Amino acid sequence: MPRIYDHVYPVFKLTANNIRRHPVINLISIMIISIAMLMLALYFLAYINTDRVVSTWRSDLKVAVYLEDDLSPESIALLKSFCLDLDEVVQLDYISKDEALSRFQVILGKDSGFLDDLPENPLPASLELLLDAEVADISTVERLARQLQRQSGVDEVVYGSYWLRQLFSLLRMVKYFGFIFASFLSVVTVFVVASTIRLSLFARRETIRVLYLVGATRRFVVMPYLFEGIFQGAVASSIALALSYVGFRYFKFWLQEQVPEWSIAPMLQFFSLSSFLTFLLLGILLGVAGFLISSRWLSRD
Amino acid sequence: MIRVSNLSKSYNYPNLVLKDISFWVKRGEFVYLSGPSGAGKTTLFRLLFADLKPDSGQIVIDGLDLARANTYRIAMLRRQLGFVFQDYKLIPNYTVFDNIALALEISGTPRRYIQKKVWRVLKVVGIERQIERLPPQLSGGEQQRVAIARALVNNPKIIFADEPTGNLDAEIANEIMQILHSINARGTTIVMVTHNRALLQKFKRKVFYLNRGSLQAYDWLN
Repeated sequence: MPRIYDHVYPVFKLTANNIRRHPVINLISIMIISIAMLMLALYFLAYINTDRVVSTWRSDLKVAVYLEDDLSPESIALLKSFCLDLDEVVQLDYISKDEALSRFQVILGKDSGFLDDLPENPLPASLELLLDAEVADISTVERLARQLQRQSGVDEVVYGSYWLRQLFSLLRMVKYFGFIFASFLSVVTVFVVASTIRLSLFARRETIRVLYLVGATRRFVVMPYLFEGIFQGAVASSIALALSYVGFRYFKFWLQEQVPEWSIAPMLQFFSLSSFLTFLLLGILLGVAGFLISSRWLSRD
Repeated sequence: MIRVSNLSKSYNYPNLVLKDISFWVKRGEFVYLSGPSGAGKTTLFRLLFADLKPDSGQIVIDGLDLARANTYRIAMLRRQLGFVFQDYKLIPNYTVFDNIALALEISGTPRRYIQKKVWRVLKVVGIERQIERLPPQLSGGEQQRVAIARALVNNPKIIFADEPTGNLDAEIANEIMQILHSINARGTTIVMVTHNRALLQKFKRKVFYLNRGSLQAYDWLN
């Protein structure tokens, strides 16, 4: 009575033989899939890290409310209480005219001497609002600014609208165009795998014919090619992950060296273990999908 | 063992390659399918092991109607048949051992028996010393012996041989014929396609003679 092992062993043996005895076809397949997977990995890394940086910056979102001069302490207290009642505001700091001047002096450093010659302090007092990162998207910030601007005693509201708008639209672009790009790449990868498997089927058509002649079932003939697709997908995604890791380390180092003042580099992270495994699985699934497309060429009995 | 009834086949209707063929082969018989080139020998041969489907008629092998059998049943039937071809149909990058073992592995033979069975059939065909060689390293006669060994290894009920001596010189062809006849002597049914009249004269057995798609006559050539 044959055991399961006696049925499974020849399938794996055939898979190993296919891979070992057709190294060029396998190498070309793995190389092409690796390139496609590398591009996918770089896209995902760019997306994950842009999202991370934007989230970090968003959690640091501040709105400066510049006050009119000679505002009474009661009016200031009223404005403070209005701001603190807003749901989006998590922290409020009052910066007096004097404090604003001393901060400006610190920024100017040794060039701050001319400030002493001014007849009076030109800087306005302000309220600095720190917003809740969970709700502070661009439209919320804009709505809030309009609301504050309408309050009596408010001279100007500044929230860095330009860069904020750019940042959010960049993230949206990365998200949507990247999704289309990633889908396109996945489809290309599937067809590359399908074509290479078909190529290898063509190269082995005589072997396949012999298998059918000696009584192989379709499953027996097909399974080694399925495993080959899995193998190619797994190896290619591992190579892509390794290369993207090297590229990522280099880029992080370069960013740290070139623009240390941005403080972005420490925020960047490679794939987490779960993303890593998902990516590996994606490679395998692409291999399987490629196999499924090409497997109808195997249906000859 | 093999029953063919009213079999017809065309590749390009209405030009029939085989016309209303009927014959049967008893268990343990050795029969030749012969005839000139283009007579339909190879088509008939391929129909006999379900490599082609007939347009009409019936082929029953060991009780299985090939036209009605699904691919799984046909695969199971082929495990009980042996095949020998003019071009050997060996896998060139598999060793002699692997080529023969493949037929056993496909049928799920336990690994511990495979080595013993391969060795035994290699001894029957007399090339046990070549077990680790690849087919391209062997002569034509040796490759055909490997093909016969592969056909034999599952103890088949029938061996189908298509011009098994076609690529071999007369001396080697005689040796191959003697091997096939000794296999037949042990009870295996053999159906062999050949157009070599010298072989038919030398190794006399029942002949089904095909001409222009019709089975014109069969006779004992003695």
